[in-house]
Amino acid sequence: MGLVKRAKEDQAAPSKPHIRKYGRDLQGLLAQLHDDQVKARRWAARDLAAHPEAVSALCERLRVEPDPTVREALFGSLLAIGTEAVVEGLIPLLRGEDAGLRNGAVEVLRQLPDAVGHRIAALLADPDPDVRIFAVDILRDLAHPQAPGWLLAVVESDEHVNVVTTAIDRLAEVGTPDMAPAIQAVKDRFPNEPFVGFAVDTALKRVLGDG
Amino acid sequence: MGHSGVARESAPEVRITDAEFERFRDYFYRKTGIRFEDSKRYFVDKRLIQRMHQTGHESFREYFAFMRFQASGKEFQELVNLMTVNETYFFREEYQLKCMVNALLGEVLHHQRPGETVRIWSVPCSTGEEPYSIALYLLEFWDRIDEVDVEIVASDIDTQALEKARAGVFSRRSVNHLPRWILEKYFEPLAGGYHRLCEDLRTCVDFRRINLCDPKDTRGMRDFDIIFCRNLLIYFDEASQRQAAETLYDALKPGGFVLLGHSESMSRITSLFKVRRFEDAIVYQRSI
Repeated sequence: MGLVKRAKEDQAAPSKPHIRKYGRDLQGLLAQLHDDQVKARRWAARDLAAHPEAVSALCERLRVEPDPTVREALFGSLLAIGTEAVVEGLIPLLRGEDAGLRNGAVEVLRQLPDAVGHRIAALLADPDPDVRIFAVDILRDLAHPQAPGWLLAVVESDEHVNVVTTAIDRLAEVGTPDMAPAIQAVKDRFPNEPFVGFAVDTALKRVLGDG
Repeated sequence: MGHSGVARESAPEVRITDAEFERFRDYFYRKTGIRFEDSKRYFVDKRLIQRMHQTGHESFREYFAFMRFQASGKEFQELVNLMTVNETYFFREEYQLKCMVNALLGEVLHHQRPGETVRIWSVPCSTGEEPYSIALYLLEFWDRIDEVDVEIVASDIDTQALEKARAGVFSRRSVNHLPRWILEKYFEPLAGGYHRLCEDLRTCVDFRRINLCDPKDTRGMRDFDIIFCRNLLIYFDEASQRQAAETLYDALKPGGFVLLGHSESMSRITSLFKVRRFEDAIVYQRSI
């Protein structure tokens, strides 16, 4: 007993040899994505990261996949693929009831600035205020030069107080002094919402640089 | 003001205001989990000003917008590299080694079949200080080492580092934190203040070249009980962090543990792992 080393010939192979039920090509992996075993579905989800043409299958699987570890792998592969097709496939999840899926979609979308940029304006104009809040959440970490401008437009024109205060919170980090009047004006737009004043004052301190 | 020499020599003097420091501190914390106390203000300001000059920005506001909205994230990574100190030496972050022998191995054995080998992976192992520290700790501070087989696999992407690791020759600085009796028991002194690790220990660690981000390299890495992955993920972009976390998860047995560097947090990367708070350290666990 003590410190041991595995024989060289065993190192390259996985610890437990197994017979493959599916091929490792696209068709095999797509079939494996619906296997009964969680482990098999996770590996299929991970390996499909190498297949951009699997985006729709990965997104469809997200809607029905019950296991959180497989969901993580699905989101991870979609992020690795990172195309506009991924953005199109994930946006519908923002309207769903499943908070885990919504948050997962936001997490991936905010890391795809090039692919998601041209969809932001439409998301911020969505009739559902929850979707608009998710769009603001995406902007929080979106490495896109237009992000402050989009947030300012929300602060200036959105009619839902929760959407506006979420945007103000994000502007506290990325806003510039010239945005201060627009932020200040929110107090007048929502005079009966006591928490608006606090959000505005906090953001102004940061934006004007005296906080 | 007394900021860095870089500031005075190469450009007009730049000052980071309190509000700008706060803004940067909050952003950096949200992105990395590293929070700078007020006492680190000089350290942070100096590096920010250095990067501002090197990227041609004269105000913090301009630089912050540049860094914050750069699609490639390269400038943010430059800052991470500057703001973190990456060095390796024996018994670094020893509290995690204590946690391994005091708590983790007990749980591992509880779920093992009798006679099963305990498997530990050190990634990235750099020049070998970490995997050899694990080996030393097991031999000297774990009372069940005579009853159980333990396999230590150590990997790095850098083949030169692996060669040095296999050679097992370390500078005085590398072994500085080792108790003297361990140094005398396991190392042979060489000229120039260097020390060579004894052959028995050098041959008991299995060094391999592995790129953690390459599925071809990592596919065979399975069934580990404990993984030390310290001060690596912080240097990855978010997509790579996520992929690496998936790889670590699949490399572990159910119930296996991951130890990260003190400034890293798995919870910021993925929800795959459960956070476990032990007396000596916080560790991430794959569900049983």
